[in-house]
Amino acid sequence: MKTKSWGANATGLFFLLFLGFPVYWMVSTSFKNPEDVLVSNPSIFPTSFSFENYILAFQKDYFVGSLLNSAMVVAATVVVSLVLALSASFAVARLKFRGKNTFTVVILLVQMVPLTALIIPLFLQLSSLNLVNTMPGLIITYIAFVLPFVIWTLRGFLVGIPQELEEAALVDGCTRPQAFRHVIFPLMAPGLVTTGVYAFIQAWNEFLLAYMIMASQENQTLPVWLAGFTSRTGTDWGPLMAASVVAAIPAVVLFMIFQKRLAVGVTAGAVKG
Amino acid sequence: MTTTKTPSRRRINLWPYLLIAPALAVIGVILGYPIVRLFELSFQQYGLEQILFGAAQYVGFDNFKVIFEDPEFWQVLSRTIAFTVYAVVGSIVLGAFLAHALLRMSKPLQIAVNAILIIVWAMPQLVAISVWRWMFSYDFSVITGFIQSLGIDFPKRNWFVDPVMGFGIIGLVIIWGAIPFITISIYAGLTQIPRDFIEAAELDGASRFQIFRMIYLPLLLPIYVILISLSIIWDFQVFAHIWVMLEFRPDPEYYTMAVYAFQTSFGISEYGKGSAIAVVMVGMLLLATLYYLRRMIKDSK
Repeated sequence: MKTKSWGANATGLFFLLFLGFPVYWMVSTSFKNPEDVLVSNPSIFPTSFSFENYILAFQKDYFVGSLLNSAMVVAATVVVSLVLALSASFAVARLKFRGKNTFTVVILLVQMVPLTALIIPLFLQLSSLNLVNTMPGLIITYIAFVLPFVIWTLRGFLVGIPQELEEAALVDGCTRPQAFRHVIFPLMAPGLVTTGVYAFIQAWNEFLLAYMIMASQENQTLPVWLAGFTSRTGTDWGPLMAASVVAAIPAVVLFMIFQKRLAVGVTAGAVKG
Repeated sequence: MTTTKTPSRRRINLWPYLLIAPALAVIGVILGYPIVRLFELSFQQYGLEQILFGAAQYVGFDNFKVIFEDPEFWQVLSRTIAFTVYAVVGSIVLGAFLAHALLRMSKPLQIAVNAILIIVWAMPQLVAISVWRWMFSYDFSVITGFIQSLGIDFPKRNWFVDPVMGFGIIGLVIIWGAIPFITISIYAGLTQIPRDFIEAAELDGASRFQIFRMIYLPLLLPIYVILISLSIIWDFQVFAHIWVMLEFRPDPEYYTMAVYAFQTSFGISEYGKGSAIAVVMVGMLLLATLYYLRRMIKDSK
């Protein structure tokens, strides 16, 4: 075993500072007295402690509304995309049908088209469907964007469940839907949690689509609110940092709990090459 | 009767199609059709008039001809490529460097670094942008304050007046946000490599760089290919960072391909020309990630 090295520790310390400082600065700013925030020579170390910035943030126009909008969009995206993906992935993993390979390749390729290119025709498409500046418009867009990954991942979980289990249930007199509900569904739970968390984080964090689709302030989601938060007299940084902390918390908590599962997705099996 | 002879007309099972129909419909309407439409638009004259009154005209390759003859397009393209190289190289090199250091750092430090990696990884894009915007604000920049506190004469400044400096900061924000995913992926790969390989090489007197080049790099090559491809895809289409850090009205010196396509479409309502720029962007990304795409499709079979 190679010994611990001085150089590695120094590197670790450097990255701890580089990665950690912005997070520290956000949190420490958010808990300062508002009058200690807007100073031209800020002290790196905390000078005061108060919740004032949080109170101010919640009093800002449209903040609570954008929080609720985000919650609604996230909930709808997660639930609907899981239901649609569960049925589609079952067909892809378990049933034979013509066009299955095409469907799979389409699902993989569609994920590769850059959002910044797609936004032009997508916006025109949504306006012709009268879906711009509506909740359903944003929700259906998010569903479409998470579906390919969710279907693909759930398919992977389904393939891992032995077909014999299902057949045994059918032999014992279950109908196909019953077999699915009592045998497969419980075994799918980890897959549903993983993909649900993925859909949650995507919908909670997404900016560009929400910015384009939800034009009016009443319809803003939290990221759009954060982006537009500047007033005529300049930016009120204290409450903005408090609001940023609020926006970061759900994502950080989910990542902390599910980090292992979120990490394997992309590079699983890549070492064996 | 001839039933014994003709089982050929089997009933088509509708179930699979019913099961994929809802998902397919949503993907088709929101992703599929717009993808096709993007290419169609790039061959059309499409502006406000066409939105209001319909009847778009096909103009062949005119949109492409116009953008290729515009020197601004080539400036934007080379700017975007330069920025992508900076951001991708920066995040991969730093990420890999940290992953290797993680292997040999003391336990408490390792735990602390891992925790901060997860937190930064989880940061929503707009939270990250807001924090960095605050750190590099005009009036109250903590960076300016820190440099001044060292006794250096460093007046407060608009950090984004000079685009080189501005892109330097924007790239830093992107590198900062990209390191966690890259480090965690490479570290996961590193821990799968048997220790014996490394020990044997050390016994033979291999230097650390030789070990990296002869053992780690070849074994982790597939991971690097994925990470580099994904980074290119993400960084080449940088948009939100520029758009928000420059308060929704970036100067033309800050146009990258995505911003340029966006401005051309939504800013001056030339959707056809904007789509042509976007098509060029898609084409370049496909070329840059061809190897990765081929692998992905092969894996799916």
